[in-house]
Amino acid sequence: MKKKKLFLPRLLTRRYASLGVSVLAVLLMFATAGILLLTIGRNPLDALRSFLQGCGIIAKEKYGGGSGQLTDLMDFLNFLAPMILASLAFITAFKAGLFNIGISGQMLLSGFAATVLVGYNKGLSVYLAKPAVLLTGLLVGGLTGILVGYLKFRFNIHEVVSTIMINYIISYLTGFLINSNYVDMMTRNSKICSPEAGLTLTNVMIGGMKCKIPLALIAAILAALLVSFLFRKTVLGLEIKAVGQSRRCSEYTGIRVSRTILISMGLSGAIAGLAGVAYYLGYTNSIVPKSLPGIGYDSISVALLGNSAPIGSIFAALVVSVFQQGANYMSSSVGVAKEIASLITGILLLFAACGNYMKYRAERKMQQAADSLPVSGNPPAAGGRAAKGAEKP
Amino acid sequence: MNDYIVEMRHITKRFPGIIANNDVSIGIRKGEVYALLGENGAGKSTLMSMLFGMYEPDGGEILVKGKPVAFHSSTDAAACGIGMVHQHFKLVEPFTIAENIVLGTEPEEKKLGILPWVNIRKANRQISELSRTYGLEVNPTDRITDVPVSVRQRVEILKMLYRSAEIMIFDEPTAVLTPQEIDFLLKIIDNLRNGGKTIILITHKIAEIKRIADRCAILRQGRLIDVCDVAETSVQELADLMVGRQVQFTQEKTAPDFREPVLEVQHLTVKNEHRFDVVKDVSFSIRGGEIFAIAGVSGNGQGEIADAVAGLAKAASGRVLLNGKDITGLSVRDRCLAGLSYIPEDRQETGVIPDMTLQENLALREYYKPPFSRKGILHGEAFRSYADKLIGTYDIRCAQGPDTVLRSMSGGNQQKAIIGREIEEQSALIIFVQPTRGLDIGAIENIHRQILRERERGAAILLISLELEEIMALADTIGVLYRGELLKTEAAEKMSTQEVGRYMMGVRKA
Amino acid sequence: MNKVFTDGLSFALPLLIMAIGTLYSEKSGVTNLAVEGFQGVGAFFGALAATLMTPLTGAGSQAIIYLAILCAAAGGAVFSCIHGLLCIRFRANQVISGVVINILSVALTAFFTSAANSAISGSASNKFVLDVSARFSVPFLCEIPWIGGLFTAMYPFEIIIAVLAAVMWYLMNRTKFGMRLKACGENPQAVDAAGASVTRIRWAAVIISGALSGIGGICFAYSLLGNFSPSIYQGFGYLAIAAMIFGNWKIGPTTLACLFFGLAKSGGLQLCIAAQLPSKYTDLFLLLPYVLTLLLLIFFSKKNRPPKAAGEPWDKSKR
Repeated sequence: MKKKKLFLPRLLTRRYASLGVSVLAVLLMFATAGILLLTIGRNPLDALRSFLQGCGIIAKEKYGGGSGQLTDLMDFLNFLAPMILASLAFITAFKAGLFNIGISGQMLLSGFAATVLVGYNKGLSVYLAKPAVLLTGLLVGGLTGILVGYLKFRFNIHEVVSTIMINYIISYLTGFLINSNYVDMMTRNSKICSPEAGLTLTNVMIGGMKCKIPLALIAAILAALLVSFLFRKTVLGLEIKAVGQSRRCSEYTGIRVSRTILISMGLSGAIAGLAGVAYYLGYTNSIVPKSLPGIGYDSISVALLGNSAPIGSIFAALVVSVFQQGANYMSSSVGVAKEIASLITGILLLFAACGNYMKYRAERKMQQAADSLPVSGNPPAAGGRAAKGAEKP
Repeated sequence: MNDYIVEMRHITKRFPGIIANNDVSIGIRKGEVYALLGENGAGKSTLMSMLFGMYEPDGGEILVKGKPVAFHSSTDAAACGIGMVHQHFKLVEPFTIAENIVLGTEPEEKKLGILPWVNIRKANRQISELSRTYGLEVNPTDRITDVPVSVRQRVEILKMLYRSAEIMIFDEPTAVLTPQEIDFLLKIIDNLRNGGKTIILITHKIAEIKRIADRCAILRQGRLIDVCDVAETSVQELADLMVGRQVQFTQEKTAPDFREPVLEVQHLTVKNEHRFDVVKDVSFSIRGGEIFAIAGVSGNGQGEIADAVAGLAKAASGRVLLNGKDITGLSVRDRCLAGLSYIPEDRQETGVIPDMTLQENLALREYYKPPFSRKGILHGEAFRSYADKLIGTYDIRCAQGPDTVLRSMSGGNQQKAIIGREIEEQSALIIFVQPTRGLDIGAIENIHRQILRERERGAAILLISLELEEIMALADTIGVLYRGELLKTEAAEKMSTQEVGRYMMGVRKA
Repeated sequence: MNKVFTDGLSFALPLLIMAIGTLYSEKSGVTNLAVEGFQGVGAFFGALAATLMTPLTGAGSQAIIYLAILCAAAGGAVFSCIHGLLCIRFRANQVISGVVINILSVALTAFFTSAANSAISGSASNKFVLDVSARFSVPFLCEIPWIGGLFTAMYPFEIIIAVLAAVMWYLMNRTKFGMRLKACGENPQAVDAAGASVTRIRWAAVIISGALSGIGGICFAYSLLGNFSPSIYQGFGYLAIAAMIFGNWKIGPTTLACLFFGLAKSGGLQLCIAAQLPSKYTDLFLLLPYVLTLLLLIFFSKKNRPPKAAGEPWDKSKR
């Protein structure tokens, strides 16, 4: 009886605790979204199925000519790549205790820079253009990140406020530049960039289905592995984590805190820049003026859901992307406004943010269960939580 | 029938993983000074927190003036006439003294019959009167930020008087005071008793109990050991009861063997964030094998001196020399490499990274060097074996070995980890700031032994402590710091506790 | 010139009431980056109420505006409970909570706006169109040379906000509640020891901040946009936070900061019009408040003293 009651707490405190929290958050999200759909008179299971169909994870009833499930799946992966990258960007700053809310702006600026510098440069060969795009993304994003880091440690400006301001500045500035120089009069967006620069190969025929090949996904997975390595195995990663967890102790240890903040913000910005080029030169191929990419914000959900673990965020990105990418098809087949995708992501984010509390409650439960066992003569050995209580009162 | 004003019967209180109070029963008579004696963690504060309504007991009952009570908050306790001066003062720093005193029982009036407002002028007047009556002079309009610790304590006492408390609990009231301020406080407590108040004194200092208390209850590991009449019990008896074994009061200290000067501080001035001099033109030097102790009341610039020597705070002027080499401009890391170890005051905030594991914390001085890392890549094995070694050498108790998350360890073991990590560096200079704060007697003895061992090894030791006893027991040379100035530097054997105390209060000529 | 003052004030006052909202929350010790979300959701409820009521009262009725303001305050207050729940009850990281709420609010209002519109009119528009608010000029005062513009063509809500701001100042600085609230942000232990409930005070502060932000939001919807749409999220909440930082967490200086923002914004726009630049240049002038914010933050952030306990969850069992 008692064992059963403690199943959930146990799940949240043991070795796979963070996974437990994430799974719980997703389950709660499904429950909430399900209730929401039921109240507006829609079948949640239908909605879920069509989300998955929209992403090519399960087959639709029928397909148009030249497209198929693989087409949808590749589209989905094409969307997944910037999502993974953006969440890695958030994680890299977050480990240093910084909230990079400016990923959208960093994506937009680097996407814009790469479009203008490389995408509109017709003379470049494929082998030159694609690396140039990546490099531009890294550089422009990285510099923007460094600026935020500098404002943080030099002038004590909270990074959330500064990144939001910079987001708007970038948004209006690029909007102005696009409208005055690069606008496509038909679409009101920026002109399409050259296929040489694009990070996604379009119109590749596989098994009679027209597919996109997202090269950026390779970059995204590589980046996830690299970031994971950075934080598990390197001196720099250890220092970033130390700064994130205790700035004061880091100073005491001799870590150059300001330099570490600059590096982690720079890295974060650089990865956000990659996400930007993957999005604007892979997924969309043009830029809507004065509009920040939603991925920048979704990435926060992804990172929190993945418990800010680089590899975990790949799986978290899968979950979040299903809703974002499948929204259009779901909307047309079930008839719910496609804005529900963002709402679902928001709800997921809400539950993910409560993760620490869930863990804390679970620990308390476990502790209480342990306390209610008959107490032997001696207090538990020093170490563990026991001794902490002893020192405190 | 008995004449107890407060009775606590069979009180049991559990915290996650520990029983803080186990079936404790005490009775306190009206108009007496009742002391609760015990080591850190013996459960004294917890017991009194329950009387003050901050916790609710898991078992047992509390009677005030013969009637059973169930306090859910400190408001309930205050309504029964109970007040408490906490060890860490509960003051709002940017508020004035009067605002702090009335907080929670503000004199609210209605302007024009409807608009509620707080009449702070009226409060100022009342508090001035009250403070004069009890000899606790304060200026009600001063801000807490601007007044010293002893005045802050008076504010806490006035808080109780303002609420007309009859039963007053003092939690370790002398921990932050100079000997002279302690005399003053004990006199006030005596006045309060003569005025009919009942005083409960929580302390681990036996001398104070002997001076002021009528009766004394001794707690050990959450249990009541004994209640004795203070007049009929000797200091040694009290000490043995408190610790549960024979206590050695002094450490064996070998004859000094001073060597070349290791640390030289010349005309050091440090400014705080408001560009105010917190350390003013301080000069001293420490030889190898010498313990140089800085005495002073909390907040007189001790922390800043330590930080400036270690490189955490910038010196506005002056020089710091280590082994004859000017290190004033060096970074923290370069100073460590030049032979400096630092046990900081704030264990949790500064000394460790609580959410990292023990092995990572133990390697904080070494991780960037081989064998811990090569070319920026970490080697996990080195961390583990180093941690295993230190856990053994310094007897660090940890539940999961090197993988224990530091936050889950007890304060004493965290301190062992820090001291182990720093001593292991075999530095020429070791700075200890408040190394034994909040630890029990066993742990204190152990740390004192380690400090003395380092002295024998020939290290120069800068010891900064608020505990005068600790300074008198360990120091070879004492410097007394007052408002950032080193008022007096003298060989330890030439200074008495009283003399040091006078300098701590800023008296220039003893 | 008059236009600069008129528009400046009508931008500054909603900003001010939002800044005061944040200030209440932060002074009580709850870091509040969620005003952006509060104002959006508040505006949503206000606009929804206005849209629902218009068929009953007929178009052009001014009473609706007051109803909308009330509903916006209520909506903001209800929505702010999520922040309270996360920060106070669940002890989540307060910065994360703020960011989460801002993201959630955008999604929430977008979804329910189109859901409500398709229920009301059948078309899933992402906007609620609002009536034009009547404006008035204060007699005599509006004829004062130079600053007369401040009293010309005023929105009724400007008066409401000004009165409300004064009340909030009084509440913060003269009453028992305000005193305890400030103490909560500096040293919650002191408040607890004095017998007041830190939790309750912080809840009250967060809800006040939600209500005030909601009012700010609906006023922006009326004055700046003339409708409720996703463009309500233009970072005004963050501007309010910046204004509060310049004001060093004090209502008086914060008011000045808000006025400065308002005048800078309207001044820039008027300059653009006066110079007869093509319309695309307005984007550049819209940048102005954000650039100014960054620049000002550079000069003011270092010296500031935020409430000491802001950002720390209150845990009674920890002392």
